[in-house]
Amino acid sequence: MVKVLERIGLKVEFPEKQTCCGQPQFNAGLRSESRKMAEYTIRAFENTEGYIIIPSGSCATMIKHGYKELFASDPDMLKRAAHIGERITEFSQFLVDVMKVVDVGASWHGKVAYHPSCHLLRGLDVDQQPRLLLSRVKGIELVDLPHEQDCCGFGGIFSVVQPELSGEMLKRKIHNFEVTTAPTLVLGDTGCLMNIQGGIERQDKPQKVVHIAQILANRDITI
Amino acid sequence: MKKNLFREKIREKIANDALQIALDGNADRRTTARVNAFAGIPDHKERRQRAHAIRKDIVDHLDDYVQQFKKKVEENGIKVHLAENADEAMQIFMEIAGQHDAHLVAKSKSMVSEEINFNHVLEARGMKPVETDLGEYIVQLRGERPAHIITPAVHLRRHEVGALFHEKLGIPYTEEIPTLTNTARRILRDVFLEADIGLSGINFGVVDTGTLCIVTNEGNGRMVTTIPPVHVALMGMERLLPDMDALSLFLSLLPRSATAQKLTVYTNLINKPRDANENEGPQERHLILLDNGRRRMSKSSLKDSLMCIRCGACLNACPVFREIGGHGYLGTNGSMAPYPGPIGSVVSPGLFGIETFGQLAQASSLCGACKDACPVDIDLPKMLLQIRYGQIQETELKPGHPPEGTALGSPLKLGLSVYRFAATNQKIFSFAQWIGARLSRLVFPIAKWIHMPTWSGWGLSKDIPHPAASSFHKQWGSLEHEEIGSISKLEPISIPEDIGSPRPSMDLKEQFISELEALGGRCVPCKRNQVAEQLQSLISEKNIQRVLVDEFSRSLLESSDLELVRSSDPSCKVGISHAVAGLADTGSLILIGGPAESLSASLLPETHIAILHSRDLLPSLGDVINDEMIREASSAVIISGPSRTADIEMTLTIGVHGPGELIVLLVDD
Repeated sequence: MVKVLERIGLKVEFPEKQTCCGQPQFNAGLRSESRKMAEYTIRAFENTEGYIIIPSGSCATMIKHGYKELFASDPDMLKRAAHIGERITEFSQFLVDVMKVVDVGASWHGKVAYHPSCHLLRGLDVDQQPRLLLSRVKGIELVDLPHEQDCCGFGGIFSVVQPELSGEMLKRKIHNFEVTTAPTLVLGDTGCLMNIQGGIERQDKPQKVVHIAQILANRDITI
Repeated sequence: MKKNLFREKIREKIANDALQIALDGNADRRTTARVNAFAGIPDHKERRQRAHAIRKDIVDHLDDYVQQFKKKVEENGIKVHLAENADEAMQIFMEIAGQHDAHLVAKSKSMVSEEINFNHVLEARGMKPVETDLGEYIVQLRGERPAHIITPAVHLRRHEVGALFHEKLGIPYTEEIPTLTNTARRILRDVFLEADIGLSGINFGVVDTGTLCIVTNEGNGRMVTTIPPVHVALMGMERLLPDMDALSLFLSLLPRSATAQKLTVYTNLINKPRDANENEGPQERHLILLDNGRRRMSKSSLKDSLMCIRCGACLNACPVFREIGGHGYLGTNGSMAPYPGPIGSVVSPGLFGIETFGQLAQASSLCGACKDACPVDIDLPKMLLQIRYGQIQETELKPGHPPEGTALGSPLKLGLSVYRFAATNQKIFSFAQWIGARLSRLVFPIAKWIHMPTWSGWGLSKDIPHPAASSFHKQWGSLEHEEIGSISKLEPISIPEDIGSPRPSMDLKEQFISELEALGGRCVPCKRNQVAEQLQSLISEKNIQRVLVDEFSRSLLESSDLELVRSSDPSCKVGISHAVAGLADTGSLILIGGPAESLSASLLPETHIAILHSRDLLPSLGDVINDEMIREASSAVIISGPSRTADIEMTLTIGVHGPGELIVLLVDD
């Protein structure tokens, strides 16, 4: 992601204090714990400037929308959270909506299916942006994923608390991916990536799940 | 460790192959059909937001609206009873039943009756409640609760229904859905005719007019509110709309969301009991308005769930419902949640206790498909999170009470606290990552992905990667940076706009005919001076003598040698009545009750012939909903095609309780 952002002319900083936004605790219902992590994250970014670009739809949704819930009865924190929230942009959304860029000079060999991650799609309303970016990658063949909007079954702690449900949803997602015959599934959320690739490894299958930044950063023409 | 009944049930449902096929079929077909149905109304997004605002206003001022509604309904001559809880509702019903010495109760679909355990209470008192919706009848015969709020038998396949009917009703085993449907029709017909009380649910109550609206496809909802001498309606007190315009809006959303129909076959609008000069309809109507926790919930952070119109779209869209169906949602005590699916995982803990049903909120990946599908844009994931937080009553919004992390085990909570501890200090966080990376490679030196054990939860279906050998924090300092702005060719973009599909330009008559025929109705165009002649020729096709008529058609056929029946005689095979209006965009007819009318003619016989004058054609429901004819009639019905059901395997079957044949004589003026 840093490579792509630099190539299109941006200077990238990495505030080193940052860790995790607190979504796992928020989704578990442990809001007191989540608040501490949110406050920590806000502090880590407060003294910086510019867009905050996140390579994961659900983390971006958490900071942009979840923090408002978290600090609903704390006006001071709510204000600070809102300031950070305004600066939050998901990677593909940033490229297309803010930078108005669709061709980043990337190349990729072969068939790729796109999985629209739930929080990216429904939390941030980002759908066309990654598809546009992918459509301009040289050598790529973007194929339709059947039932693409079905959740992959990750859902954070859901995958641990309800392993059977999570597992069934994952099997369905992997099956739909296999139907495309594409060797590669691309997406824009790290949680889904770990979940789907984890399922593929368990089933001992050869397919790969990649983050959209991996494709957009790839310039080697291997066709 | 305490047995987790909910997870056991989930495993059982996942292992049931017939159930999985049934649920897959439901999810695939219902979801696509709903999306297509909404594509037909280009302004559906705007309608959704209007609907949201209307329902939000009702919930925000629930007490006021309930009082106004109660007053209006009483003015109309319907007896209104407020029930604070399930026991009170049953007590009220038993009193009404006692006054009429009632034994047999014909029921149309009512989720509220499930909520108050209506059937069991009645049976315990020696009374006989009979479900008359085909799906409900099937689950009642099986001794089950509905598995879906709209399609109660969604969990069953045809062979299971065939075996059930063979065993319980003594018919030869068959998988023919029309035969199964006909068997139910035959048996339930007697129930309608003999019932002492008809019990119905209510889809919407209109505050401004006191109108009760019930939508039904099979016709059983009309039967139980028309044929028995007493009608008792059960209604959750929040199911209100301010006025008839709002009703028209919601009638464009509810059927599309529920069954992908523009309108259900029958939309009943009930204003009052039978007038003294009328010869059909119940003499007495009662309305039981149930609170049962709703007023309390309207003051909690779950109040938006009261905006629900029970369309079932969130169930069809939910990936969890798709795995377990409506019988899979269990409380900690093993009892089944009265309301299943995403909406049920919010209202069940909200109404019946977070201690028992709070765990349902953890059975969601928070994917948001439910919110997407909701026709009133209820933010269900937000409320699931609120339940997980544990603090749903505003009065309880104090730290520490009750515990956060509803239904989560202590080890998981502890783990997340430790994680928080590490994550709020970058040095500790990096150190923990470093340790983790070393440790995992020490324990699993060869594996690229770690095979986690099943008990970890994660390990049931997937592996997990090693933590990065070097964290991004470490890499950042030595990252090879790119030449800034190395790409010169930046392409500006244009995102294609969604322009929606253009409306077809047809005249009202053409549009009405095409919609009616799409519903399976038949249109016979006819000149003004040939109506009687045309009617006689249609009747002669049927080879019958006795015809159920209203005054209008009686006067037309007076000189014929047919026997014209003006009472609600169920033995007539053909009924004729005139429609006061036709709706072009849905192919619907509007019929009203009254001294000169016959609503039975469009309900009891196998064939209904409607006489509609083309001057009475209107573009859509919104153009007629405020008409005095509808508001002043004791009841009115909007008919869209012949009676139908899709309760067995979603297979469309025409002709259930209402007429299987609908002929419209469209009279040119």
